[in-house]
Amino acid sequence: MSDSLLEFRKVSVDYAGRGGTVSAVTDVSLTLIEGETFGLVGESGCGKTTLSMALMGLLPDIASVRGRILFNGSDLTTMTESQLRELRGDRISMVFQDPATSLDPTFGIGSQVADTIRAHGDVSRKQAKDRALGLLAEVGIPAAAERYADPPHRLSGGMRQRVVLAAAIANNPALLLADEPTTALDVTIQAQILDLLADLQRRHGTTILLIAHDLGVVAQICDRVGVMYAGQLVEVAPVAELFARPRHPYTRALFDALPSGSHQAGALRVIAGQVPDLAHAPTGCRFKDRCPSRLAECDETPPLAMSDSGASIACWLDPATRAAGGLGPLAIAGESNG
Amino acid sequence: MTTIERASTARPQWRTRFGGREGLIGWTILAVLILIAILAPVLAPHSSEAIDSTRIFAKPDLSHPFGSDDLGRDVFSRVLYAYRASLSIAIGSVLLAMIVGVPIGVFAGYVGGWADLVLMRAVDLLLAFPALLLAISLIAILGPGNAVALLAIAIIYVPIIARVVRSSVLVVRGQPYVLGARTRGASHWAIVRGHVLPNSAGPVLVQASVLMAFAIVIEAALSFLGLGSQPPTPELGLMLAEGNNYLTTAPWVEIFPGLAIAVTVLAFNLIGDGLRRSFDPHGVTR
Amino acid sequence: MAEPTGGRPLLQVEGVVKRFPIRRGVLRGAGAVHAVEGVDLAVGRGEVVSLVGESGSGKSTLGKCITGMIRPTAGRIHFDGVEVSGSSRGARGNFRRRVQPVFQDPRSSLDPRWAIERTIREPLDAFRIGNKAARAARVRELMDLVGLPAHLSQRKPSELSGGQQQRVAIAAALALEPDLLVADEPVSALDVSVQAQILNLLADLRQRLGLALLFIAHDLSVIEHISDRVAVMYLGRIVESGTVSEVFTDPRHPYTRALIDAIPRPDPTQRMSRTRLIGEIPSPVNPPSGCRFHPRCPVAIGVCSQDDPQQTTFSSQHRAACHVAAAQTASLSELPHERAWL
Repeated sequence: MSDSLLEFRKVSVDYAGRGGTVSAVTDVSLTLIEGETFGLVGESGCGKTTLSMALMGLLPDIASVRGRILFNGSDLTTMTESQLRELRGDRISMVFQDPATSLDPTFGIGSQVADTIRAHGDVSRKQAKDRALGLLAEVGIPAAAERYADPPHRLSGGMRQRVVLAAAIANNPALLLADEPTTALDVTIQAQILDLLADLQRRHGTTILLIAHDLGVVAQICDRVGVMYAGQLVEVAPVAELFARPRHPYTRALFDALPSGSHQAGALRVIAGQVPDLAHAPTGCRFKDRCPSRLAECDETPPLAMSDSGASIACWLDPATRAAGGLGPLAIAGESNG
Repeated sequence: MTTIERASTARPQWRTRFGGREGLIGWTILAVLILIAILAPVLAPHSSEAIDSTRIFAKPDLSHPFGSDDLGRDVFSRVLYAYRASLSIAIGSVLLAMIVGVPIGVFAGYVGGWADLVLMRAVDLLLAFPALLLAISLIAILGPGNAVALLAIAIIYVPIIARVVRSSVLVVRGQPYVLGARTRGASHWAIVRGHVLPNSAGPVLVQASVLMAFAIVIEAALSFLGLGSQPPTPELGLMLAEGNNYLTTAPWVEIFPGLAIAVTVLAFNLIGDGLRRSFDPHGVTR
Repeated sequence: MAEPTGGRPLLQVEGVVKRFPIRRGVLRGAGAVHAVEGVDLAVGRGEVVSLVGESGSGKSTLGKCITGMIRPTAGRIHFDGVEVSGSSRGARGNFRRRVQPVFQDPRSSLDPRWAIERTIREPLDAFRIGNKAARAARVRELMDLVGLPAHLSQRKPSELSGGQQQRVAIAAALALEPDLLVADEPVSALDVSVQAQILNLLADLRQRLGLALLFIAHDLSVIEHISDRVAVMYLGRIVESGTVSEVFTDPRHPYTRALIDAIPRPDPTQRMSRTRLIGEIPSPVNPPSGCRFHPRCPVAIGVCSQDDPQQTTFSSQHRAACHVAAAQTASLSELPHERAWL
């Protein structure tokens, strides 16, 4: 259970733009355990998609990656393009937000699943087709045999996402990277796809890295959650712990901003200020300018440190972070985890 | 993906306006060419039409950098003068086509329905004629000459411009900001002037610059067939046509007008690329 | 038949139908998309009413009929007692000023080439309100009202954040002092923290200006937060309507219940209950017979595929169009209705 499948070690990603260098991801260290569903959340521009693209080796040329990304012990950042291509779609597969862009509009849905199988294994056409039919049935495409040759546009968005999932699990990947897989779908269809994801995870034991902005989605299917803000990983915790006791000031602010289930009128708490411009990112904690409990220490980057509860927080208010950063306990006791 | 959008606001405004480096180079070349055309009488070292029997097919030298042609005329001076006809036909034909084509396209695209159907069928009819045949018949009626060549090219271009305008107007017309302006009481005229024209101008101007480049080529073809400029008026296409006969014996008669055409086409294409970029309202296209 | 409490409603929609003909070939019609099929709805002064539904429910089409962007195929729309659906130009012109839309994507609802000051001023120019100085002052006032700092006035939309863009769109919509805003998914393109700011702004404007709001959305937690009353749409019909607490805590229509069950709650201790709708929303070109929901309904009975259910009244506000719910109120009215049939 505690085998690490994927490890980010001090990963940073910079984009070289004409207006200067944008540090999209800064010093992210994170370990994914085999068989878990890990949710990475944050608002637009927080770097969660950039991090996942770095993992897949799919960043544009203007990006430069520092640090190491270890998958089963081997460093993805030093692999050649052909080595990466061998991994992608086989050991690591992806599902994106818009199923329409993941499928070729001119080919039948079944043959696209079969092609993924044939690309990474020595199987006959017939075998691949049989496997593809089985997969389509598994992801809940009714009458898969009749639909095998249908082009994607004959299917609804939800059905297309099911086909994408079928192709993604075709070669029994160790890691499934799902970037906002249900964002483009209606609520009732989203629920179906989330069920399907959880179901596939249970059956195949696939490790899932789920990237999402919807805290509800994350709460429903993840085991652990990481919260990113402005390129920094600010909190990592087991899902129950995170939702019961969010500790980082940003995480707490994010929860406060959710429309409350109880339909009482009244202002939602909002986060003052704006996300910093990452071309001129402030030093230290990037949330400090919007933080209600800013300290003098915040100009130094707080390390992400694990506390007793199993949660890790990168915030100088947190005793574990202070210990890891070599600082004494906070003067005003009891202020930290309110 | 997500983070890059804020990146570049630091680029100087004027440079963005001209469409970055490519656009700037394009506009500079065009400005120089126009200056050359205007100042041809000052710049030209020799007469463009004076025949010199001692210099027939003379090789390029210091006082005649492009050499001399079959009648001993200075090719360099002729190229300078030739820009006058070539540029005015290229720019003039497109402008004329836009004066007619833009209103047709805007009306068809914005009003839609029957107006669109009727106008676009008419435009299709015009497009269906082979372009060169159309030009040749017009010249057959009106007789050859620069003005007629300009008119013929403009007529070829009207349907192209109208189509491009219509399709980009169709896109803009469906934008929420146009719907919103309607519900906030803006008149059709105010919407067309304020929202539709500025926001659909990009593709049209890009197309226009490409058409200007192409006009030089069409005009060269017409002259080649003896239907454009009439000798002895120097004109790039015509010079190319004449030089073709002496390619093996005196290649400079052919090469230099050819290069001149290439430079002009290049300038228009660079301008087109620049326009494409600067008319992307969201700024950064990577 | 959702109705506000007391008085003549500001907006009254009666039996509105909108069908879009499908054209195959050049001129020949081939059926129609039945986008909205006989909807009754009312919005009172200063009231927030939400339309919920998934894609294909017809909620956006209904919103466009109400703002006058498209004309309904049938039915009547009264605004402040005056019929505006097919009336004279003058009446519609006045109505336009008093009903303003706010769109989903703030980026595309602002002209990318216009400074935001010009966008906000556009309606004032169109109706020639005041002189130049008065309009400039009004623009400053509007920017202040929606929380936009004055120094942004000459910025282009691309230089603003998504939240600021949506504030600009709201300011422009407010310029003509409307009585009703029709907001189609105004926060769904925004991040959570920005979404909270815009929701607060809308609540605040309602309080300060007495503005009524027709809020079209698919996110039930947002709707639960902001609305007084809710109408749930499915395939062109309103299947259930009532006050927020009635609809959310005591849903009578199986579709409403399924919709509520499908919301991923931000609470890992309450993982989704296992009531799942099977299948997907059918095509609005050939909607199912009888109750339009019956092919997906977990509790459908024989009559559902034949007869179109009428609205059953459960309380002064609460109505649902469901044969099963109607039968249950008739026979089981004493039993706790909570999940009685699921």
